[in-house]
Amino acid sequence: MNPRFRRRTALKGLAAAAAGPAGLAACANEPPAPPTNLTQADIDEAMSTPTDLTFWTWVPDIQNEVALFEAAYPAIKVEVVNAGQGDAHYQKLRTALRAGNGGPDVAQMEFQMIPTFSITDSLVDLGPYLDAGMGEKFVDWTWSQVTGTGGEIWAIPQDTGPLGMLYRADLFEQHGIDVPGTWDEFAEAAAAIHEADPDLYLTNLPPNQGAFFSGLLWQAGADPFAGTADEVLQVDLQSDTAKRVASYWGDLAQRDLVSTDPDFTDQWYQSFNQDRYATWLTAAWGPVFLSGAAESTSGKWRAAPLPQWDSDADPVSGNWGGSTSAVMATTQNPIVAAKFAEWLNTDSESANMMATEQFLYPPTLEILDDPDFTGQELDFYGGQQVNEVFAQITDTVTEDFQWSPFQSQVYAYYNETVGTSFTEKGDAVAALAEWESRIETYADYQGFTVK
Amino acid sequence: MATTTSETQAPGARPGTARGRESKRYAAAGYAFIAPFMIVFTAMILVPLAYAAYTSLFREQIIGGSVFVGFENYSRAFTDPQLLEGIGRVALFFLIQVPIMLAVALFIALALDSGLMRLSKFVRIGVFMPYAVPSVVAALMWGFLYGPDFGPFAQLAEMIGAAAPDFLASNVMLGSLANIVFWEFTGYNMVILYAALRSVPTELYEAAAVDGAGPWRTAWSIKIPSLRPALMLCMVFSIIGSFQLFNEPKLLQALAPNVIDNAYTPNLYAYNLAFVGQEYNYAAAVSFILGLVIFVGSYLFMYLSTRRSRS
Amino acid sequence: MTTTAPPKGTPERRTAPRPKQQRSGGGYVLTVAMLAVLAYFLLPLFWLLVSSTKTTGDLFSTFGLWFGGEFNLFDNIGRTLTEQDGVFVRWLGNTLLYAVTAAGGGALLAALGGYGFAKYRFKGNRAMFMLVLGALMVPATALAIPTYLVFSEIGLANTPWAIILPSLAHPFGLYLMRIYTESAVPDTMIEAARIDGAGEMRIFFQVTLRLLAPGFATVLLFTLVQTWNNYFLPLIMLNDPDLYPITVGLAQWQAQAAASGGASGDLVPLVVTGALLSILPLIVAFLFLQRYWQTGLAAGSVKQ
Repeated sequence: MNPRFRRRTALKGLAAAAAGPAGLAACANEPPAPPTNLTQADIDEAMSTPTDLTFWTWVPDIQNEVALFEAAYPAIKVEVVNAGQGDAHYQKLRTALRAGNGGPDVAQMEFQMIPTFSITDSLVDLGPYLDAGMGEKFVDWTWSQVTGTGGEIWAIPQDTGPLGMLYRADLFEQHGIDVPGTWDEFAEAAAAIHEADPDLYLTNLPPNQGAFFSGLLWQAGADPFAGTADEVLQVDLQSDTAKRVASYWGDLAQRDLVSTDPDFTDQWYQSFNQDRYATWLTAAWGPVFLSGAAESTSGKWRAAPLPQWDSDADPVSGNWGGSTSAVMATTQNPIVAAKFAEWLNTDSESANMMATEQFLYPPTLEILDDPDFTGQELDFYGGQQVNEVFAQITDTVTEDFQWSPFQSQVYAYYNETVGTSFTEKGDAVAALAEWESRIETYADYQGFTVK
Repeated sequence: MATTTSETQAPGARPGTARGRESKRYAAAGYAFIAPFMIVFTAMILVPLAYAAYTSLFREQIIGGSVFVGFENYSRAFTDPQLLEGIGRVALFFLIQVPIMLAVALFIALALDSGLMRLSKFVRIGVFMPYAVPSVVAALMWGFLYGPDFGPFAQLAEMIGAAAPDFLASNVMLGSLANIVFWEFTGYNMVILYAALRSVPTELYEAAAVDGAGPWRTAWSIKIPSLRPALMLCMVFSIIGSFQLFNEPKLLQALAPNVIDNAYTPNLYAYNLAFVGQEYNYAAAVSFILGLVIFVGSYLFMYLSTRRSRS
Repeated sequence: MTTTAPPKGTPERRTAPRPKQQRSGGGYVLTVAMLAVLAYFLLPLFWLLVSSTKTTGDLFSTFGLWFGGEFNLFDNIGRTLTEQDGVFVRWLGNTLLYAVTAAGGGALLAALGGYGFAKYRFKGNRAMFMLVLGALMVPATALAIPTYLVFSEIGLANTPWAIILPSLAHPFGLYLMRIYTESAVPDTMIEAARIDGAGEMRIFFQVTLRLLAPGFATVLLFTLVQTWNNYFLPLIMLNDPDLYPITVGLAQWQAQAAASGGASGDLVPLVVTGALLSILPLIVAFLFLQRYWQTGLAAGSVKQ
């Protein structure tokens, strides 16, 4: 063990004494001790004991799946609470954890946020509670995303976001543009289309979306936090790969060949309806979302894989978003909570319902291999089998990509550095260095050993 | 505070007499009267302040837990470019927004008080109305009104063929925020000033009228000077309000995330330090410093203006 | 700035309305100018009213400052009140509970304290009053995070108390009540009551409280507004949506609307209509209580 870490640990005890209440609060989040040998009888008993669970999620209409669960286990009542979306949800989660009350038993948790909450001992290791062979039901990379460095299972995957490209077939045709297969072709197309129509951009680069940028890094093969474990933080945003991605997009932004509107704002939604963007580089949850957000453009869109850096190699992709169900360490009912998280995402009826009604892109092999799912033809995409396109992309997502243990902060810094360099048409590579330096300073304040 | 104790409200008031004569017989009752307030005051203001001061001496780390760091959070704060920039920004906000707001409020109050205009009651209520609107709602409304495609200003600009103004761009954002705060609080200040004007004694005006002073002259040389205490009150509230700006930028952040960053105002910074960065102790230090800046600012302002009025 | 000394002598309260000056050409110019000012202040409210009558589609496609094709107000109100099992009504109820409790309690504490400071001599009177005056300048939101940390330690975060208790301590209210008491409650009256054998508390509640009514109403109203409008404190204190006040609830709906499709989603009209419904009670309260807050404010702002 690192000597510095030991010293800090020793200090922790001292400081807890000195800090009084603040120290106590920090200890209040210790997870319940995992059961040594949980028998089926224990589980059955827990599942038939009347229990109330609170489940924080922002997924619309997930009450329907919850109702299925409650029908299967009548003793359990699950209260579904929408405490906010994305960032707001995590901020509320932190205030609840800190306050020590009012938090959920089970929470929606994006893959990228798992290390952030596991490092503060806020999550229950589900390993001991799960049925054997659970991991084999999931796409490999999704399972490795929920697996901790010590082999813990921090959450159950719910949906994924392998990156692809949605494009306007009509606009491509009108301007005589072929679907770009490489990023070089993509850049050429960006120049051509904007020159032909100054109001039209090939795509929008959202300057507020660190998660999207991370997906691009993922695809390119950069893994900036690789090797981070416990008190050691590895960060490398200065690799050639990372610089290549930043300079590519920085250049497009500087030349005004892509727009840089923040996404998920009214302005951005309007732009889809007003034919301002010819593509949306997005995740597998994007196609159905777009069909709701840009109804007026129905039938004109198609889906394709993300452009590639290396046209000779096998195609690769990254992931943006997608989430899991995690059990919070403050729960009084870890068995029931764990079983709920498991059931919600693996019961065939529930998982199918999520894939076909909420349009969460599934992480389970069973549904991804189901022709009923992959063969679905969407009118918005001119009858294309979009799920099949993304099922193939799912197989090209590389398994290794690690998140920092304070991802919200990393994204906040992203907005202030790289994101802002895009909107201000500045030097994105320099901003990348600034991003790394802020992350390192922060990590240092938080007691990490920065490497 | 200045101590001009001119008793006017109740006819027949003889201030101080009872206090002068009463023995300490009633001291116990005095304590009983102030006790409830003082208990709540201590628990809700002094304790959090003391706790902020105390906790700001520690650093609770993700790795290593809570460590005593002395004044490290403060030395960090004084060299933290994000915090300093935020303080500078709200100071600029204060310097631009408050004079305009108070001048307009004063102008409206004088106009209403002049008796020269019609519909004055209607105007008074209308201008005050925004004060009853929560700042969250105000920010939501103005956020829509500023909308670059569908906001009415953009629509009007399009109708006359002009370029739609971008209210959310980085170089105008502070002005757009100032406009929201102006909209919310001008009426409030106007009412305070108007109420003060109404209690300026009539004989002063009569004397001025005898001297042949017109309404503008009366306003300038009699009304405005007598408004000094009320203006001071408005000023102090404005200092406090400007420096703790939070709600409006927090809500507009969703519309312009790269313009309003997490440290746009000191208060927003403190919030994000605590609940995004999990740096609770540093957030407490920032809150404490912010409180101190405001305290010193308003105290200095009052000190300077009372000294000036005595000289 | 002018250096004219403040008026000396014994100012007396003007009881008769100021003599109407002759309306001249200047008066009309002034009236027109004021109507322009008024238009600015009412514009967003007018926009809100107009927008509450629109469907989602019309909100983004028709001119913002005039009614759209369809008059959808009642449908919008119905949906706002029933969305998510009527959570909006719950938020409104919470706000009402927090605001009324905090305002009533805060005004009572301020009245008792102000009266105590104004009318009794005791050790520490001046020192304590100065301490409260100093706290007047400590911004409420700078206290919010420390208060949250303290409340988290003692398990009060995420309860209604977390909103009500911090709003009870209102230094400005105390200050106002002290000044108001000094001017509105004659000492002779207290002495007379004492001679009649009344106890101190009885004197306060039966004799003087009545005289303090305008000041009391002012503090009540302003605490009411502050608590009603509070956003920062509940945002960090509460994490159960069932406890949210209307401000936090509306902001959450707004975020939800943005995340779920904005113009193409269904939530935007609810945010707009909810905003309209949330401001009506306060506007009505202010209109009805005009007389009180105007008198009370005059007392607070003139004498310092």
